[in-house]
Amino acid sequence: MNYRKTLLATSALALTIFSGAVLAQDVARENTVIFDLDRTIQDPENFNWMTPGTKRMHGAHQTMWEPLFILNYNTGELDPWLAMGFESNADSTEFTVTLRDGVEWSDGEAFNADDVVFTTNIALTNEDISSREASTIKAQVASVEKVDDLTARFTLNAPNPRFIVENFGVRIFGSFLIMPEHIWAGQDAATFTFNPPIGTGPYTFSSAASNRAIWDRNDDWWGAKTGFMDLPAPERVIFLESGGEESRAQLIASNQLDAAQNVTIGTFEAVQAQNPNVIAWHTDYPYAASDPCARQLEINTTVAPWDNANLRKAVANIIDRSQIVNVAYEGTTEASRTMFAQFGSMAPFIDAVVEAGHGLPASADVAAGQALIEGEGWARDGDYYTKDGETLSVDIHVNSASTEYTRTIDVIVEQLQRAGIDAKAVPVENGVFWGEVLPFGAYEMSYSWLSCGSVNEPWASMGRYTVKDVVAVGERSPGFNNTSRWDGPAAEAYSAIVDDIANRQLGDAEIPGLVAEAYQHLDAEMPFIPLVQAAKLLPMNTTYWTGWPTADNYYNHPFFWWNHTHQIIHNLEPAN
Amino acid sequence: MGRIPKAYLINRLVTLVLTILIAATIIWIIPRLSPVDPAEIALGRMAAGAGAVANSEEILAQLRANMGIDQPFLVQYFKYITGALVFDFGLSTAAFPTPVSTLIMNALPWTLGLMILSLLITFFIGNLLGALMVWDRSPKLVRVAIPVAMVFTSIPPILSGLLLMWIFAAKLQWFPLTGAYGLFVEPSWTWAFVQSVLHHGFLPALSIVIVTFGFWALGMRGLMIGVQGEDYVKLAEAKGLKPRYILYRYMIRNAILPQITAFALKIGLLIAGQVLVERIFAYNGMGKLLYDAILNQDFPVIQGVSYVIILITALSVFLVDLLYPFIDPRIRHEAG
Repeated sequence: MNYRKTLLATSALALTIFSGAVLAQDVARENTVIFDLDRTIQDPENFNWMTPGTKRMHGAHQTMWEPLFILNYNTGELDPWLAMGFESNADSTEFTVTLRDGVEWSDGEAFNADDVVFTTNIALTNEDISSREASTIKAQVASVEKVDDLTARFTLNAPNPRFIVENFGVRIFGSFLIMPEHIWAGQDAATFTFNPPIGTGPYTFSSAASNRAIWDRNDDWWGAKTGFMDLPAPERVIFLESGGEESRAQLIASNQLDAAQNVTIGTFEAVQAQNPNVIAWHTDYPYAASDPCARQLEINTTVAPWDNANLRKAVANIIDRSQIVNVAYEGTTEASRTMFAQFGSMAPFIDAVVEAGHGLPASADVAAGQALIEGEGWARDGDYYTKDGETLSVDIHVNSASTEYTRTIDVIVEQLQRAGIDAKAVPVENGVFWGEVLPFGAYEMSYSWLSCGSVNEPWASMGRYTVKDVVAVGERSPGFNNTSRWDGPAAEAYSAIVDDIANRQLGDAEIPGLVAEAYQHLDAEMPFIPLVQAAKLLPMNTTYWTGWPTADNYYNHPFFWWNHTHQIIHNLEPAN
Repeated sequence: MGRIPKAYLINRLVTLVLTILIAATIIWIIPRLSPVDPAEIALGRMAAGAGAVANSEEILAQLRANMGIDQPFLVQYFKYITGALVFDFGLSTAAFPTPVSTLIMNALPWTLGLMILSLLITFFIGNLLGALMVWDRSPKLVRVAIPVAMVFTSIPPILSGLLLMWIFAAKLQWFPLTGAYGLFVEPSWTWAFVQSVLHHGFLPALSIVIVTFGFWALGMRGLMIGVQGEDYVKLAEAKGLKPRYILYRYMIRNAILPQITAFALKIGLLIAGQVLVERIFAYNGMGKLLYDAILNQDFPVIQGVSYVIILITALSVFLVDLLYPFIDPRIRHEAG
């Protein structure tokens, strides 16, 4: 009898637990799009994007907060969104932005220039805010004024033709987001939690917990009412923390996720074998899309013997980029030809550099590299080159946080060793790498992506290696710029040209030629060696939704944790 | 309280407070021995994400002020230690301006629920199985459990978690893949919520149970072998007492004392113990909180979580010490 009771109780418990699987949800799966979230929402009740933490990428700036413009990575054009356009004065110190008519916050209040002026002034006056976008506004803007309800004028501290794209165009990850004055007025922006949040986007906040955020479509969205755009097809958008590559693979293979964060090629192929509806940016190798931060070998130009430009150039010759692609990245990326990320919008500048003969080959020319070393008086003695009893050696610092980084450096170490340089990898912990090694020049060579910046014009990357940012080893490089501490006549010549580019209007026909002219100095002195493009292999599931961004459907890039994801969601169509 | 002398109790309480104070001081000192400035790390994270950082000097100063590391060490220590007494660990640097205590209070119930349930299940199943392995009247099937227990003990919980996840969540879809409760269930004391929590917690708990019951079973087996040959067991048998009575009252009760000490220590460890299980199931408990805090170099959260672990461990050991005489009548506390 006891056994029977136990059996009954166990069965009842099992039924209770199993029946949880059929809990009702009021929006059908086929009307819901589920994005992967690669981190915990530590403070799900805080929606103040101006303070650090996950306060945007859990769907807030992909569904609820819209940007003024969205940069198209393929064409380099700024797609108007909340703004219709902008004008600047001749020296790019004053920008007048025209807002779109009819935009409304989700509570029905009009979105207008008052909101733009109010939010900008928060960044200019509140000393306690430390977000990147607010700091950039603070550094660049002298004042902002309302011209009329749909026009705001920014006066800058210094000329900057890139002002709009840098601050309001979703250049990389996010943009300076405009907040509703009628909600934020009177609040301390450093501590205000903005809960419940509102935005102008086609989705409103439904609920959030530490592992997910849910956004429901606002059928009264201003964009559909004004004819700007149709309502997006998904009725609900969920950002769900997957818990790591193993779990995200299983979630997307079993159609419980529509777009997943970065996975390795092995995982992707395993997922695709189970679920053929899963696609990536490319239909075949390299599968992955490139992100804006191309990988490079940073060289401290103040440390002997690597203060010798010919030795740095020798290393550039010895490195075989195609081998890095094949071994370290398993074929999921491509070799860099220049310092730039290889987007369609960057093609004019990359082509100019390559046509001028400063492009990098994918394969190595070890003999040429060794000739340069020998030309500097080093002689091969057994395995390594020596000079005056000293072995030619180098320590390469690498962030140990990812196997992508360490595997790349392992390949480079092997290539240098074979060519006669006693190279050694020095893996260091993430915080030490970014906090101590890179900014203070505490390395000989290091693996990084500090050219990161240019996605539609060349200055953002090139401007990071000018002589104005040179500091001594032991002092912190301003803004992580020129951590190579590249200085001297060639660097000065380079800087003069780059400073000229800085003040030219975007699209100036002379810029590609100037880029090539400046690049000759980089090519001759190699303060850093471009390696490969950064790869993001993002599985996208076509079981419920089609219209994902791909190389064949390139309306923009696929990084769905960025502010431009509004475009992705608007392009999604039901699969059936 | 009859069996616990007042002097002994005071002695143990003083030891408890000193243990917590010293441990809290050590966990405050350790991060500060690192040459790395957490504000520099936060700035580096910005640079790693999207290139150059404008106004970096101002941001750095602001971050240092937010983190409270712009003040003298003694001031920082005094604030920390007085705050810790009332569970105020300051503000998280990665989730600024959320208080660390809020993050801990959000995570702790999930870990306590999952881990204590798993620990209780493994403790009872494991010890019972370990005892039955030695008992000569056990079915032969129980003896087979020795190699099984050894095999399961050697499997890391993350592997068992992945395997269970693949079979029961991805393939059969009986259980959800991630989370502590359903996407569309709001936390509240409702049957739907409880049901959802049980449903979501089943696989993470099972992945811990199947790899940890062997630890208790094999440990108990060793202890039971020692007890088996004792005179009092032989005397009980000679008196003609029922074998099951001898097993429970004479053998298990005498053998289990070291296991109870281990249980108390495990309570503290389990708070942070199953980091990987929590991670793969996106089960946002204390282990996951600590894991994320370490990745983000969020020192106030690391200190807060470590403090809670120390506090729970110290309190568990203290309570078990007091409970020993009730479990084993041979034990008497002596004053001093």
